[in-house]
Amino acid sequence: MEISWIQAAILGLFACLASMPGLGGTSIGNYTLGRPLIGGLVCGIVLGDLRAGILVGCAMQIVYIALVTPGGTVSADVRAVSYIGIPLAMVALKSYGLDADTTEGSALATSFGTMVGTLGTVLFYGTATINLAWQHIGWKAVEKRQYKKLYLVDMGLPWISHLACSFIPTLVMCKLGASVVDAIKTALPMDGIAMKTLFTVGALLPCVGIAILLKQIVKSAADFIPFLFGFVLAASLGINLVSATVVAGMFAIIIYRIKMLSVRKPELAGGIDDEEEEI
Amino acid sequence: MEKKLSKKALLKSFHNWYYGHLTCFSQEHMQTFGYLCAMLPLVEELYQDEDEKANAMNTYTAFFNTEPQLGTVIVGMTAGLEEARANGADDVDDETINSLRAGLMGPVAGIGDSLVVGTVIPILLGIALGMSTGGSPLGAIFYIIVWNLFAYFGMRFLYFKGYRLGGKAVDFLIGAQGEALRESVSTLGGIVIGAVAATWVSVKTSLQLFNEEGEAYLTLQDKLDEVFPGLLTAVVIVVCWFLMAKKKMSPIKVMLLLVVVALVGVLVGFFDPQLVY
Repeated sequence: MEISWIQAAILGLFACLASMPGLGGTSIGNYTLGRPLIGGLVCGIVLGDLRAGILVGCAMQIVYIALVTPGGTVSADVRAVSYIGIPLAMVALKSYGLDADTTEGSALATSFGTMVGTLGTVLFYGTATINLAWQHIGWKAVEKRQYKKLYLVDMGLPWISHLACSFIPTLVMCKLGASVVDAIKTALPMDGIAMKTLFTVGALLPCVGIAILLKQIVKSAADFIPFLFGFVLAASLGINLVSATVVAGMFAIIIYRIKMLSVRKPELAGGIDDEEEEI
Repeated sequence: MEKKLSKKALLKSFHNWYYGHLTCFSQEHMQTFGYLCAMLPLVEELYQDEDEKANAMNTYTAFFNTEPQLGTVIVGMTAGLEEARANGADDVDDETINSLRAGLMGPVAGIGDSLVVGTVIPILLGIALGMSTGGSPLGAIFYIIVWNLFAYFGMRFLYFKGYRLGGKAVDFLIGAQGEALRESVSTLGGIVIGAVAATWVSVKTSLQLFNEEGEAYLTLQDKLDEVFPGLLTAVVIVVCWFLMAKKKMSPIKVMLLLVVVALVGVLVGFFDPQLVY
């Protein structure tokens, strides 16, 4: 599978829009186009294999299901995951003759994507650093009271940062990728230790993604119960995700009502106390 | 005559924030320029005098960074404050505006990160993943539509809530009702994430013990699944959580550790993806 210059360029453009801090804005860019699932849709359409794109996107989405960037620190770069990692993983799957819908297929995709995503953090820091130059122009404009220039600084000039840190890296990596994948394939046979490890890592990595999310929710051991409850719903009872969400919603409502009762308790409790005293 | 911000200026301000809050991000100033762009249409409408304009804009050159979706409420509040200042309110000056912004951006970032990025988005993605099983684009399309409608109208709601109610707008988030909402949403999140993990993550061991005739008398994976389906997957997730939450390891370090675990596991035969050409 070969990626043409035009295809690579389109992916490059999406990388500009999708990154954090991207030119699509956070809601449309980072949180929509940057999510690997959506990246999979875009890559699937651009590369002409929608099914494989979506499947690879799904596999990688689990690893990055909770990509929180507190205070602007990142552990992976979404543009690299979604627009370099996914196309390369699709190429690799084709080249190895694996179907993306198999465990091996998604393990390979996950390893590839995570590797690229971690290396891609350099792109994040690159973009942010170049933006400093535009902000310098911005402060000058504020001093001179040329406020209209702020729009150019905030929404125009960063395109140059992205040309250097999103467009060109994506273009080059997608073009070179196919030959790199072939080289890896000849160097590392599938039944060798290296590939076995790579595939095993691919199966283990999603655990980190889920664990990052749990870090937000779980403060004490008891907080694991909702998580395990959901796990049991799917693993033991075979309930699908949409249905599990409805069940979860039911519990959420119950908790909310109970909590709100205790918020209003001072007023209510006041009335009850009086009656008790009379008895 | 009392100055009143037009709906048009407010909407322009909101859209500048909605789109531009992070487009010119740097580690040093983060969302500061986005904030300046959001305030500009308001300042231009409220003040005719160049000195007054400059004075107002200078207020917003102070550093700003928060969770941008939920943080919209802060932008809306400052829009209300700026209007009050233009009408000559004595108690609104640079200091009140900036101490409000500085005081709120931390808590709002904390709530926003766990509520929006840590709960709402993963839940939507979890449902979307379920709908995309087998390579269907349906889930991706579902996520694009639902998330963007939620983000746009949610942020717009917060902006105007902040503008109209001022300080009261955040009571909802920080007060007891916000606490109840957070708790119920995080339970919802926990259950859905559990289902996502069980559906999409699969850690399996290939360890088998053979008797003298060469028959497998123990297939570890089957035994583990008899105890609790997906036990190994759940255990690895909990261990990762433990390393990050309790041992304060960074995600990248945990990932590297997993590479080592995988290598050792493959060498001793605990893991074997059973690849064939």
